[in-house]
Amino acid sequence: MTRRTFAAAVGLGLLTLGASSACRGGSSGGAADGALTVAMMPKNKGNPYFVSCRQGAEEAAQQLGVKLLWDGPTETDPAKQNDVVEAWITRGVQAIAVSVENREAMSTVLRKARGKGIKVVTWDADADPDARDAFVNQATPAGIADVLLGHAARLAGPAGGEIGIITGSLTAANQNSWIAEMRKLLPAKYPNLTIVDIRPSDDDRKKAFDETQTLLRVHPKVKVVMAIASPAVPGAAEAVKQSGRKDVGVTGLGLPNASKPYLLDGVLDSAVLWNTKDLGYLTVQVATALAKGRTIAGTTPFPAGRLGQLEVKGDNVILGTPFTFTKANVAGFDF
Amino acid sequence: MRPLWVALAWAALLAVVAALAPAFFDPVNLRDLVVRASPLLIVACGMTIVILARQIDISVGSQFAICGVVAGLLARTGLPMPLVAVGTMLAGAGLGAINGVLVARLGLPAIVVTLATLVAWREGLRLATEGVWVQDLPIGFQWFGLGQDIGRWLVGLCAAAVWAATAFVLGWTPAGRAVYATGSDAEVARLLGVRPPVVITGAFVTMGALTGLAALLSAVQFIDVQANAGIGLELSVIAAVVVGGTAVSGGRGSLTGTLAGVALLATVGPALTFLGAPAAWERALQGAIILIAVSAEGFSRVRGLKATHA
Amino acid sequence: MPDAGQATVPAPSAPGITRAWRVRLATPEFVLLALLVGELVWFSLAGTNFLTLDNGLEMLRASTEVGLLALALTPVILTGGIDLSCGALLGLSAVVFGAIWRDAGQSIPVAAAAALGVGLLGGAINAWMVAGFGRPALIVTLGTASLFRGLAEGLTGGAVNYSGFPAAFLHLGQGRIIGVPTQAWVLVAAAVTIAILVHAATIGRALRAIGYAPDGARFAGIPVGRRLALVYLLSGGAAGVAGLVYAARLGQARADAGTGFELSAITAVVLGGTSIFGGRGTVWGTILGLVALGVLANGLRLADQPAELAGVLTGVLLVVAIGVGARRGRA
Repeated sequence: MTRRTFAAAVGLGLLTLGASSACRGGSSGGAADGALTVAMMPKNKGNPYFVSCRQGAEEAAQQLGVKLLWDGPTETDPAKQNDVVEAWITRGVQAIAVSVENREAMSTVLRKARGKGIKVVTWDADADPDARDAFVNQATPAGIADVLLGHAARLAGPAGGEIGIITGSLTAANQNSWIAEMRKLLPAKYPNLTIVDIRPSDDDRKKAFDETQTLLRVHPKVKVVMAIASPAVPGAAEAVKQSGRKDVGVTGLGLPNASKPYLLDGVLDSAVLWNTKDLGYLTVQVATALAKGRTIAGTTPFPAGRLGQLEVKGDNVILGTPFTFTKANVAGFDF
Repeated sequence: MRPLWVALAWAALLAVVAALAPAFFDPVNLRDLVVRASPLLIVACGMTIVILARQIDISVGSQFAICGVVAGLLARTGLPMPLVAVGTMLAGAGLGAINGVLVARLGLPAIVVTLATLVAWREGLRLATEGVWVQDLPIGFQWFGLGQDIGRWLVGLCAAAVWAATAFVLGWTPAGRAVYATGSDAEVARLLGVRPPVVITGAFVTMGALTGLAALLSAVQFIDVQANAGIGLELSVIAAVVVGGTAVSGGRGSLTGTLAGVALLATVGPALTFLGAPAAWERALQGAIILIAVSAEGFSRVRGLKATHA
Repeated sequence: MPDAGQATVPAPSAPGITRAWRVRLATPEFVLLALLVGELVWFSLAGTNFLTLDNGLEMLRASTEVGLLALALTPVILTGGIDLSCGALLGLSAVVFGAIWRDAGQSIPVAAAAALGVGLLGGAINAWMVAGFGRPALIVTLGTASLFRGLAEGLTGGAVNYSGFPAAFLHLGQGRIIGVPTQAWVLVAAAVTIAILVHAATIGRALRAIGYAPDGARFAGIPVGRRLALVYLLSGGAAGVAGLVYAARLGQARADAGTGFELSAITAVVLGGTSIFGGRGTVWGTILGLVALGVLANGLRLADQPAELAGVLTGVLLVVAIGVGARRGRA
């Protein structure tokens, strides 16, 4: 086959692809056919945590009859989030919902969106207060840190001990704020616990596994392994399981489905999270309400579809408190 | 010459660790390191063949990810594990064949082709899986159902077998000599009866099949399969192979070097952790080690050149 | 190895003119231009508000950093080399900028100078190892990529995020001059400079000669070491400038700034027809490549397509453009 024939074949394929996307693209543009368009962005499309948020978001979009655009960086690339929002501003959507990876960077572009009349909601991670109309808050960093340390303290026992933390990537903003809060809480509330090392997993399960294996050998006295990124929990749990170290407790922040096998066989003691599906669901509810002209302010409870009336504090809509998945209750969840 | 330098560097590192953190040499830790390095070694064997043929493949990370998912999906359909293994390696070989055809038949530069496939396949996989892991796998998936002790032996032995087989083929068979010939001077090779397009396609297909095997051996250590494994794998593998002495310009190098390179690079991370280096400095130290390894040989070569020209 | 295709262009005569034009049109640059026009047409139909001035300007703003890297990469690749460390160097420069400004309490100009200095220093390390020691550029820049990114991570512990830059500085990345984004002027200046270097100055011919035949170039009296050192230094300097633009555009500087940018830059350069083996290439090809990639990503977003599709199509675009446009004898 000559190069030109090959290229022609590929070109034809591209053309077909283009034609089909043109057809799909043509039916969008919310204002034209009356349906609202809500554009929603996670920090990173590949992370299982955000994959589960999407399920809830799609559910709400279907219920409310709005068009949901779900897009974002495929890896945690700080710069790409801006590009996506800029494109949405150009395209023209009625509401934008962002889980903010870079507060400063996003605040600038979100202010621009608001300036063009687009309603802005932040979820999971906030931007500057003047850059958005509302923030869907699942839990404060201090609250999350407290729950995690509470589990660690329980696992370490009254004598306390060493904790090893497996985090996401070294630059991840959420994880770093939880770690900072934990460091603040330690001397005050948990004086007999020490954080002995923090290893990055780069949101890769295998790397979390490798780092935990090494951690157990470098710090043989470690009593608790705390994995604070959702791909890291199964990796850390598997490493502890394979090492046979029944004296090491594992806790962390993870999804119920990935944690279930380890919760059931006792390696993983607890996984802290909130209902991510509900988080996605609520975000779309709030975004749609804002786009329809409602304001979120003061303390009037927000009616959030199947979630009922939810608490509002100023411009924060509160999902609830962090929830702990355990062996006993994990079977009741599917995400 | 280079494998010797690398081995010396490795020995130096181990000596420092022996002095400051002897816990590193606990047999259980060494065993874990071998299991961890095995998939890397297998991919590095494939990469050695490709680089010897004066090509390169920077898409192995994406191939690794796809093959892992394929392994999970095949296992979930209830196929027995040996067939899963065959299927996974065929998938890898297929991907390698695409690279091979584009490079050998259409004459496109390997780095450009594999850059294109790196991006297209990884993003294509993301599009297809939407980030969802392959879960609910049968019990016989983890460690092939053999339990972790036998499973670990199996992984290590596979890596050793692949290394030995590749070394044998490269060093003692006409196929191996054809690879070296193609990498040194494709025109001369052609005149001697070697068919470079066949050799090059074969190199990429082998690379793909070995990547598939490595992906399988990595995946069976767990109970489910990540949607997006092997990010950055290509850089670690290329670094290991080139540090081990295989020249990027083709025709020069050996699997002994690759083994030394893999050993060094697989040891650096854990060694630094044992030595108490903060995680944030690990990447810088790894980069420095690569640079030192690359320049160390430069010194000896320059002296050698001066000697012959004097 | 000399390019066989170039030697066989026939002398112009009536049927010869047509053949000459066909040869000219088969160059990678014109194929890419055709593909680009195709993209523009297709996205103006499929995307919402694609063909607007505002969108075009914002696209320009978003691609300046990769653009700077790609422009500086062009002479590097012309010499048959490569620089995989420019993205990491961008990140290190940005972080140094933030650190000097915030932690060392210096003024913005001083911090910016430090960032540029770091870029040049990084380029110098590459130059020293590639030009001085003669080590292969691929593995050297692979090593320096880890080193630079690692230094950025080590210095910040990964966690530190420099932000809160004064508005005057942010104007570089977020403002406009005569209606055009500020950094676009930087990009234009860089493009003109590199174009002069590669196409007008004698140095440009020297670079191509080094790419075609390094030993031949040396015997022809070209100071190969000095020329190579220049291009790697330039690449480092461009990374430093790009780091500043990045910090100004996003309003923050973190250790992971510029991750993956080198791959995008290399894609743009190669898409533009520069041979990866060296010896052939144009700056306007690189610019076309940048535009083609930017338009692809932007257009797909405006057509409500998922981001992954941009990646898949980039790969396809690369293969098609190189496959069709490559001259015989050498791709």
